[in-house]
Amino acid sequence: MNYVALKMLFGDRAKYLMLLCGLTFAVMLIVQQGSIFWGLMMWSQANISNLNVPIWVTDPGIAQVDEVKPIASTGVDRVRSVDGVEWAVPLYKGLLRARLADGDYHQITLTGLESATLIGRPAQILEGRFEDILQPDAVVLDQWAVERMGGPAVVKVGTIFELNDKLARVVAIAKTQKSFTNIPVVYTTYERAMRYVPRERRTLSYVLAKAKDGVRVEDVVQRIRTQTGLGAFTEEEFGWKTIMWVLKNTGIGINFGTTILLGFIVGMAIAGQTFYLFTVENLRQFGALKAMGASTFTLARMILLQAFTVGLTGYGVGIGLATVFGFLTASGGNLPFAETWQLLLMVLVALLAICTFSALISIIKLARLEPAIVFR
Amino acid sequence: MIIAKRLSIWIALLGVGFTIWALLGANKKDPMPTPISEPPRSPYDHVVAASGIIEAVNENVRIAPPVAGLITKMFVKVGDQVTTQAPLFQLDDRELRAQLLTREAAIPPLQAQIDEQNYKIGDLETQLHRLQSVHDERAVSEDDLKRTWYALEMAKRGGQRLQASLKQAMAQRDEAAILLNRLTVRAPRSGTILQINVRAGEYATLGPSEPLMLLGETGQLQVRADIDEVNAPLVTPQAGGTASIKSLADRKIPLTFVRIEPYVIPKKSLTGENTERVDTRVLQVIYRFERPSFPVYAGQQVDVFIERQPSRTTGETPSSPVTPTERPL
Repeated sequence: MNYVALKMLFGDRAKYLMLLCGLTFAVMLIVQQGSIFWGLMMWSQANISNLNVPIWVTDPGIAQVDEVKPIASTGVDRVRSVDGVEWAVPLYKGLLRARLADGDYHQITLTGLESATLIGRPAQILEGRFEDILQPDAVVLDQWAVERMGGPAVVKVGTIFELNDKLARVVAIAKTQKSFTNIPVVYTTYERAMRYVPRERRTLSYVLAKAKDGVRVEDVVQRIRTQTGLGAFTEEEFGWKTIMWVLKNTGIGINFGTTILLGFIVGMAIAGQTFYLFTVENLRQFGALKAMGASTFTLARMILLQAFTVGLTGYGVGIGLATVFGFLTASGGNLPFAETWQLLLMVLVALLAICTFSALISIIKLARLEPAIVFR
Repeated sequence: MIIAKRLSIWIALLGVGFTIWALLGANKKDPMPTPISEPPRSPYDHVVAASGIIEAVNENVRIAPPVAGLITKMFVKVGDQVTTQAPLFQLDDRELRAQLLTREAAIPPLQAQIDEQNYKIGDLETQLHRLQSVHDERAVSEDDLKRTWYALEMAKRGGQRLQASLKQAMAQRDEAAILLNRLTVRAPRSGTILQINVRAGEYATLGPSEPLMLLGETGQLQVRADIDEVNAPLVTPQAGGTASIKSLADRKIPLTFVRIEPYVIPKKSLTGENTERVDTRVLQVIYRFERPSFPVYAGQQVDVFIERQPSRTTGETPSSPVTPTERPL
């Protein structure tokens, strides 16, 4: 009977292709939209993930990573004093203006890394050596800074510009994830960042820390909070905090959310409708089978098999196409695209549910079917 | 099987395979790049961390001039070992030397006057002696005798006055000499010249913000650790500790407790800011250490880890850590 069911499904090539196309594009639409949305969210926390350290400590009132609220510089020692902290280093982060030789101004994010360890530096360097940051007046740009400041023709290794009227010399260019605001990032050492920025009473933006091996990061974070009264977050927590802030305070959440929801509804409606039409058109054949003595249960099994076969095939092709799209467009890092298994699983469950649902409607119709319809 | 004959199934399988491959590739998080040097790590389970500075055991002496004046000569250079009372630099002394000359010149005339007076006294003494030896009242009148006696006594008092004047003149000369001597600034104790901020020909003012010269003993160094006042109650006396200089964090220097400074002071930024800023108050703890195999210098910053007892459970009042032995009864 299974053979007959599949033969029915594949037999009419045009009908099958139409059905498959509907499902494929529905899946592709949802996966692609969802991935772009999630990619955008990843961009919003790029300033956290680019530093790649497990624990962030700062003022407890912090809303998101780019809204810096400096703490007293003894914060580093206070975090180091907490049990289970393996190391803690200072980080400066703040907005500053860079003036290029041609007179152009650019807003930049100055990131000051602790000079002895350079913890928080990007893993990949496109040009130059990151360690050269220890030279006098040296700074490192990220690739987006080069792009924003006028491209490789204007800014390259060796370029000199002004930061708050003080000299800065580019010694390397690092590869980082693009951030949502896309403000160029200028790396320097913590001590030198103090020289660049205007005088403030408190200058320590963040304390970056790591838990000792064998100690749970969450425990250490909790201990830092109670012992120092500072706000401590794991990398994920801080990332989520930033994402939630973006969703709440910008229009992206509503706008993108409705788009994705619409995509989802439209996709699922197409899938359900196409499959339903397919079974309705095959009603005559099912009626013939019924007249030949096939039970309703057998027929239901056949319809479900058809539904799952075409559903899974459409799903496979759909996610494949979406991934190819993401692979081709987002590999340069210029388009936000982050596919996650959670999204794929959700789409799979939803697709199978909608297929089952439309199959059920057909089955009900089939159950009520008079076999005599065939002979009419 | 009928399924295997359909191209669409193969495309679907290919799509799933490619997606899994892409997901595995994309979601792989790069490990954190290894720090270029080891970050300072605590060797103990429970610690109080502090930032410290290496200094000479006897606190550095900021050499000051006794009076403001022009510096004419430097006797030492940076790095010189000096002993107690060794001359460091010379202030302009021409004025006092000129004064000394006139004061010295005032002494010989006085001495001559004293000599003169002595002869006068001798003469009068001889006269009186002669008059007294004559017993005939008709030859020597009572009046003559008395007059000579008075003249002698007056001459003697005159001599005493001249002696006093001489003493005064000599004291005045000594005063100038002592003042002159004061213009040579000497080392108050033996040590090494750590810093010289003046040169010959410059004017030494009183109470400058920058010391003219910094004298310290670098043979033995100590660490002054700054602990945030919030963490101050966690510090126990005699607690062990380690220090590490920046960029050599894996080479620990063992520390021996010396004392806790009893007064909590505003923090001077030792963490590299361009100007020193006060943002919090810190408790300072002094630690001694043996010189490690690698060079360390006075004035260098260190990361300090002080061993701490696990959080106190008993509610008893702890004894004052500052003066554990000298508590008022």
